[in-house]
Amino acid sequence: MPELSAITSAFGDALTLHSIGIIFGGVLLGYLVGVIPGLNRSVAIAIAIPLTFYMSAYAAIAFLIGLSKGTAAGSAVSAILLNTPGEPSSAATCLDGYPMAKSGQPRKALKIGLLASVIGDLLSTLLLIVVVIPFASIALKFGPYELAAILIFALVFIAGMAGGSFLKGMAAGGMGVILGTVGLDPETGAMRFTFGYAELMEGVPILPLVIGTLALSEMFVQLDEYRRTKGGNSVRLGNNPDDDLSFSEFKKTLPTIFKSTGVGAFVGALPGLGPSVGSFMSYGLAKRGAKDPDSFGKGNPNGIAAAEAADNAVIPASYIPLFGLGIPGSVSAALLVGAFMIHGIQVGPLMLRDHPQMLFTLFAGMVIASLVMLAIGWYGLRLFAKVTDVPQHIVIPVVIFLCLAGIQVQGYGTFGLLVVFGFAIFGYFLKKFDYSFVTFLVAFIVTPMLEMNLRQSVILSGGDIGILLQRPIALFFVIATGLMVLHLMWSSYRLYRQRRRLLSS
Amino acid sequence: MTPEPHLQRKNLWSGLGVTLFASWLLVWLIPRYGGSGISFGMHPQRLATLGAWVMFLCAAALAIISLIQLKKQRVPLIKAPSLTVVWHQAWPFLYVLFFISLVIFLPLTWLAPFIVGTLVVMLGERRWYIVLLTAAIPTAALYLLTVHLMRIGVV
Repeated sequence: MPELSAITSAFGDALTLHSIGIIFGGVLLGYLVGVIPGLNRSVAIAIAIPLTFYMSAYAAIAFLIGLSKGTAAGSAVSAILLNTPGEPSSAATCLDGYPMAKSGQPRKALKIGLLASVIGDLLSTLLLIVVVIPFASIALKFGPYELAAILIFALVFIAGMAGGSFLKGMAAGGMGVILGTVGLDPETGAMRFTFGYAELMEGVPILPLVIGTLALSEMFVQLDEYRRTKGGNSVRLGNNPDDDLSFSEFKKTLPTIFKSTGVGAFVGALPGLGPSVGSFMSYGLAKRGAKDPDSFGKGNPNGIAAAEAADNAVIPASYIPLFGLGIPGSVSAALLVGAFMIHGIQVGPLMLRDHPQMLFTLFAGMVIASLVMLAIGWYGLRLFAKVTDVPQHIVIPVVIFLCLAGIQVQGYGTFGLLVVFGFAIFGYFLKKFDYSFVTFLVAFIVTPMLEMNLRQSVILSGGDIGILLQRPIALFFVIATGLMVLHLMWSSYRLYRQRRRLLSS
Repeated sequence: MTPEPHLQRKNLWSGLGVTLFASWLLVWLIPRYGGSGISFGMHPQRLATLGAWVMFLCAAALAIISLIQLKKQRVPLIKAPSLTVVWHQAWPFLYVLFFISLVIFLPLTWLAPFIVGTLVVMLGERRWYIVLLTAAIPTAALYLLTVHLMRIGVV
């Protein structure tokens, strides 16, 4: 367990002007991106990674975490004022946020959303700090058998839970595994799928992969959708004296905020589920538990509070498997792994042993980011309300350019641009045909670790599968993986039968 | 799994595509380019082969299930999209590819205003000052960043 001096020293490092400035920049940029409909967290992180290349490891990660938090809070603004969620996870916020804004209380709706976001985020960050250190201490004792079994379980779990079809999720995961093996084989030194390109010797470069599959492909999807929908008008912030949040009104939303934070943190800690599940689940629970469920969908402040608290609680909680086991449970966590890799740091329980000071400073930075988020959101309300008016036909060309510029600035040259383009086609295919992107990305990221642990397991056991009987944790996860596959198949079949019955009736 | 015919059709054709791709990986690409050599533990190709088998089995299952469902519902297996739809989906790719091919010959800072400006105009913006500002600001930012990186010796 960390000593008190280590924690105070971490807060000292995170409270320097430079650190606060970096976090402030990240949160502000995240807020702006979140406010603009069509730009989501993954796109923002993907195009911001090149900017962090020349920062120190701590500054880079703190900036990206700030950005991630900022997008989650900012996306509520467009959901409330424009009825268009900046992030899919803010769709639940639209249900009550927009009616409330339309009825002349946009400022109140925004403030409820902001306070719920900050409280959800802060509490979930504190939970992450409390849970992850003992979790990582236990994980450090795991051997290759346990780690390989846990990684396979996590991949199957994510494929099943990430939404859409389990079969499609597994197929996307398979592709991620194949791409994860590209480069020099660590044991034999054999070249795998390099086709004579020196650029591929260390594996598929993560930056072009991420920018292509996440950001550029998303812009192609947006261009396709832009043809059909050309945006709407946002609700203006007036000077109505009744349109402000009183403390008593805020107090009434607190129980919902606390409950929804719990739901969001639970959903976030499970790999693959994501913030959309968290926000809709909390919204449903808040509605079911309310005395006046009929008022939900018509501008009930508790509806906004539930959706936003859960949405923001998911993000810090999704770092529990990341820092505890090295398994990224969401796209943004996977992108953070990429950023860590660029700075030569292996994220996971080993961080507790090898870079404890940095880990604690990051946690302190996350707490500070929550508070910065409150300040930026509170004082920037008018500015962000104006940003919702930025039309998509301006945003899309600029983002496409930023994707290409990000690669060029990194010195990848034409090879990098062609790789980005190839991955943009691939990402477009995944999105259009509804193949799980998160499973693909997580599989790609964890494959080197999976391969190393599998290889060590095979060597240590001499190929004898009976060794698992002496490793109860590994055996548990192997059995759990089998049961999970059966369960997911059975539940997809049941869902199919239900939908078919609904369609025929 | 979904009973809606258009989604089943999507599953069928994407499943078939992925199955074919995985077969190609298993039969040709992985044996040739997946790496070779003597290994004590796992062969360099082992994990990629496993991944390709997972892809193959899942995609084939998806395609077969969708085919059976479509047959049961007696709906056509093929419903070609109109050329207009295909064109609307394809032109952004061609647009970006065109500029990537130009980047081989010209610096990105020269092309940047055209990449942004042309697309802004194509998407319907007619106010010249908006087009100018949208094209100029990212270009200037890239230029300044490149100059800074050159000064510190990164690029």
